[in-house]
Amino acid sequence: MTLVLIVALVTGAILFGIGVYGALSQTNLVMIMMGVELILAGALVNLVAFWRFLHPESYSGQMFVLVVMTVMAVEMAVGFGVAIARFRAKGSVEMEEAGDLKG
Amino acid sequence: MYAQAFFVAVFGLAAIGFGVVVFRTSSMVRSALALLFSQTAVGCMFLAMQTEFLGVLQIMMMATEMSIMAIFMVMFMMDPGGMGGMDMTHQKRFSIGAGVVAAGVAIVVAFWADWGPVTAEAPDAAMQTRALGIELLGRSMLIFETAGVTILTAMIAATAVAIPVQTTANSADKEDTE
Amino acid sequence: MNFVIVLVALLGSVWLLAVVEGWTTTGRLRPAAPLLSGLAHLGRESIVPRTPDRVFFETAPVLLLIVAVLGAAVLPLAPTLVIADLATGALFINAALAYVLVALIMAGWGPNGAYAMIGGWRFLGQLIAYAMLIVMPITAVAMRAESLVTTVIVGSQDGLWNIVYQPLGFVLFFIAAMALAFRAPFDLPTAPGELGGGVDAEYTGVRLGVLRLARLTLVITLASATTVFYLGGWHGPLLPPWAWSLIKTLAVAVSMLLAGRYLPRIREADLMRWCWTLGIPLALLNIIVVGLLVLVVP
Repeated sequence: MTLVLIVALVTGAILFGIGVYGALSQTNLVMIMMGVELILAGALVNLVAFWRFLHPESYSGQMFVLVVMTVMAVEMAVGFGVAIARFRAKGSVEMEEAGDLKG
Repeated sequence: MYAQAFFVAVFGLAAIGFGVVVFRTSSMVRSALALLFSQTAVGCMFLAMQTEFLGVLQIMMMATEMSIMAIFMVMFMMDPGGMGGMDMTHQKRFSIGAGVVAAGVAIVVAFWADWGPVTAEAPDAAMQTRALGIELLGRSMLIFETAGVTILTAMIAATAVAIPVQTTANSADKEDTE
Repeated sequence: MNFVIVLVALLGSVWLLAVVEGWTTTGRLRPAAPLLSGLAHLGRESIVPRTPDRVFFETAPVLLLIVAVLGAAVLPLAPTLVIADLATGALFINAALAYVLVALIMAGWGPNGAYAMIGGWRFLGQLIAYAMLIVMPITAVAMRAESLVTTVIVGSQDGLWNIVYQPLGFVLFFIAAMALAFRAPFDLPTAPGELGGGVDAEYTGVRLGVLRLARLTLVITLASATTVFYLGGWHGPLLPPWAWSLIKTLAVAVSMLLAGRYLPRIREADLMRWCWTLGIPLALLNIIVVGLLVLVVP
């Protein structure tokens, strides 16, 4: 059964890697959020795999998955709120043009 | 066991494939929907790992979430259809390096670590749903409530940030839209 | 085996619904009309618009059809006549039907046409309006049954159907189901006469045939869901269980059709306002009332 665990963990790791690439390389706020979503998806795969194969008796593992899903939703809501405010003020959500946020 | 490994691998490959498409295509709607199907494939992986409730929940939540992402892409991008073939990336080499290192380290750890005894039998799906419900309203109730309050806070915060600042200049517009 | 039976029942209901729809629109009862127009779709030219998003354009009708069938897969026709009796059936049908939105966005974006695109994005707004009214009444139903399994939900209505036990939930679910199936008066994404067909506008030939079949299948799936959740599923005297399921499903589908014929199309801003200011508080009230009833009445 370790085989399935390893397969799931490798998938999670690769999704995480793609997400890191996306979050770092994209210039648009919405695309960066997509990278973050992929990172969290990788984390979700690992959490479910750990729950299923290592500790199926403890439901805190599933609880953690629910919390991560909440985090994904919250990230989207606040991110889009910020994006709307930024777009309204400056007319773009490009990161290259957001140097003025440095203060 | 091999059947399970096969299905987890197939859905995992689908998730990775769609995940790659997200950053390879220049059409923003395709990008958002590729992310959607990547998350759906992750949900199918949960189903393949006999975690039925979470799998179905993931599949359900992500459909709406990523569709909303798609419309924001169309709203905020200069070239949502990707017909112009704009380059929307920066610090590419560094990002690829970071991504490969992050994935590589995680994979090495996955192979290297001693995971100990692995459980073969998953709890029955109906039992899982029941036990998760009892966990939610029992030991983890405070965490669950905190998550709920966090969502409420995020909703209020997002709305507050997104509502336009009322000035005398645009208050006339508001009269029209009401 | 169950799979084949349910599919045949689904197709048969779709055919009957199409006949009734033709009857109410043209005034003539022509049982062969749906088959003939289906065949005609096969023969017609399939026009592809200029610079389409080909992947979305081709996938959308098929995805809509698959989603409608997947939704029907967890709904029982008789105690054992169900394709997949999942432990999370009542949640699964939500998950499957959430992809109606995805299919419509794809169908709207794919053909590279303005009306289609507006129709597709409009459905996103419609989803934000109706989604809670689908999920929250189902929550109340699951509370009474103490299970998410659809067969157990039907079993819990033995003697007293949910339409009597929680009429408020039924009304909300029925309206939301009509909005989900984008039937008139909630046909905002297609809106003939205003958007020129909306998401349907650029589809012709075989693809339009699949799209129409998918829409009717979706209506039958939702009518079946209403039957399972509120009308006691297979319960009924004399007739065999599957017959009762089919009769009730068709009755609900036809009543959706008739309701649409006598009501004007609602504006999307009004739909959103009514759903959020009136619908969601009522759905919460329904959950509270059902919770109290479950606790008080043995």
